[in-house]
Amino acid sequence: MINELDCRGLGCPAPVLQVRNVLEKESPAALTVLVDNEAALQNVSRFLEHQNFLVTAEREGGEFRIIGTRNGGVIAPEMRSQTPVEKERVGVKKIMVLITSAHMGHGDDGLGDMLMFNFIKTLKEMGPDLWLVAFVNSGVSFTVEGSEAVPFLKELAGEGVQILACGACLVYLHLMDKLQVGEVSNMLDIVTGMKLADSVITI
Amino acid sequence: MTHEKIRLTQTVKGAGCAAKLAPGVLDKALCGLDLPVDPNLLVGLERADDAGVYRVSNDLALVQTLDFFPPMVDDPYSFGQIAAANALSDIYAMGGVPKTAMNIVAFPAKTMDISILRSIIEGGLDKIREAGVVLIGGHTVEDSELKYGLSVTGYIHPDRILTKKNLLIGDLLILTKPLGTGIIATAIKAGLAGQDLTDRVTLAMTTLNRDAALTMDEFPVHACTDITGFGFLGHLAEMVVDSGKGVRIRSANVPMYPEAIEWASMGLIPAGAYNNRNFRGAIVDFSSNVSQRIQDLLFDPQTSGGLLIAVAAMEAESLVTALKAKGIDTAAIVGEVISEPVERIIVE
Repeated sequence: MINELDCRGLGCPAPVLQVRNVLEKESPAALTVLVDNEAALQNVSRFLEHQNFLVTAEREGGEFRIIGTRNGGVIAPEMRSQTPVEKERVGVKKIMVLITSAHMGHGDDGLGDMLMFNFIKTLKEMGPDLWLVAFVNSGVSFTVEGSEAVPFLKELAGEGVQILACGACLVYLHLMDKLQVGEVSNMLDIVTGMKLADSVITI
Repeated sequence: MTHEKIRLTQTVKGAGCAAKLAPGVLDKALCGLDLPVDPNLLVGLERADDAGVYRVSNDLALVQTLDFFPPMVDDPYSFGQIAAANALSDIYAMGGVPKTAMNIVAFPAKTMDISILRSIIEGGLDKIREAGVVLIGGHTVEDSELKYGLSVTGYIHPDRILTKKNLLIGDLLILTKPLGTGIIATAIKAGLAGQDLTDRVTLAMTTLNRDAALTMDEFPVHACTDITGFGFLGHLAEMVVDSGKGVRIRSANVPMYPEAIEWASMGLIPAGAYNNRNFRGAIVDFSSNVSQRIQDLLFDPQTSGGLLIAVAAMEAESLVTALKAKGIDTAAIVGEVISEPVERIIVE
């Protein structure tokens, strides 16, 4: 059954926020949103398109029915509920760490694995400045079943650090169903994260 | 104290969103009114300028304006500062010197602690004092939603009134503050804006346009307005309509908050922006390379926005340099006055 959200009678930004909540909580493949003003029609359509939905709208008298169908992708990180985190972040830097491999540095892979594991284990020493850790390519192996890094990443996530795992990489490496920690993500999330971060560390 | 926890923007419907009556609607209410005629009324209602001007003698005229709105930020003191800076701005945009002010207050005394009102008025007074203006009174009514603003009276020389309607072909247009405060106010209301951005935007909105006005006074400025609820293109349209000239805007040069551009593409756009587009979109031609979200920013209703100044081309760079020397770092040349197409705005 298609999710239907009634946002009639609501002024901006309430309809966009309600739609965002539904996407966050239920990740529906499709949803219908009822609104009763032009601004809400435009805003909800723009929001859904930005979240990778295909959007169509029908006018019914003075009301509009907006139909969105998911076109792949997940919610961009800056649209997740940030209020509590943002309040704590006053005076704190936003450091993004991008982990691009299962190994740290070049040389013996066994050594590289161990170094990367130690690196992830030690990341928490960055304290509240650590904002986002994104895993791409073989780096996603740390976020899946069987990795010793999973409990440490869960601890970071519990502290409010965003953990992103590249969805295309998980699919490519047949690890999608083994994901243990973090959110399945895409290049848009990663690029947006880079833009919003005060500094980006690539390993 | 309980009032510390109240978020002012959550107590009102409009906030940055839809506080100003849509421009087309206002025109319907005002058109065809039988207005009293007086030869000393130099700028009146029919001119739709920033403030009205009434001649007292050959070398003195009164310039009068008022402005008030619901809160667009959560902090009462900041709201007071912003509302006062916004009201004073109309006097500066006319080339006048503000002298006296009166408070305009609607306050929900049943649901809000009176100390909030005190903070708001203190914030307003802070800006009134900074402007060298005296507060001479005010009027307060009980209302379901909070609103605050000022009525301001200033002096101006009758021969030195700076209206919207004196564009000369070749003039360059300078904007002094970045666009995006309407979208950011919507994001603040949605709880999406971080403290750092809120602080930066609050600082910009509480900054008086006085230094910009004093600086431009020494340059061959032909027309000026301040950017508020009708948005950059809405206020620019008021300069262009009936001018016999056109305008070309280079959108890449228009100062904007990058966060607002991002939120625009996510649909955090105040209803006022759509009203502004519906009202003035017909005289604006966007090049195909101007993205939807940049168009939205150009129509975004501003609170206590910057001055939009038309100055002789030869002096434009010097004026920007002089503005920057006064700390107005975001001032930029954003466009030019052209002969054709007549009374249209081209945005590239």
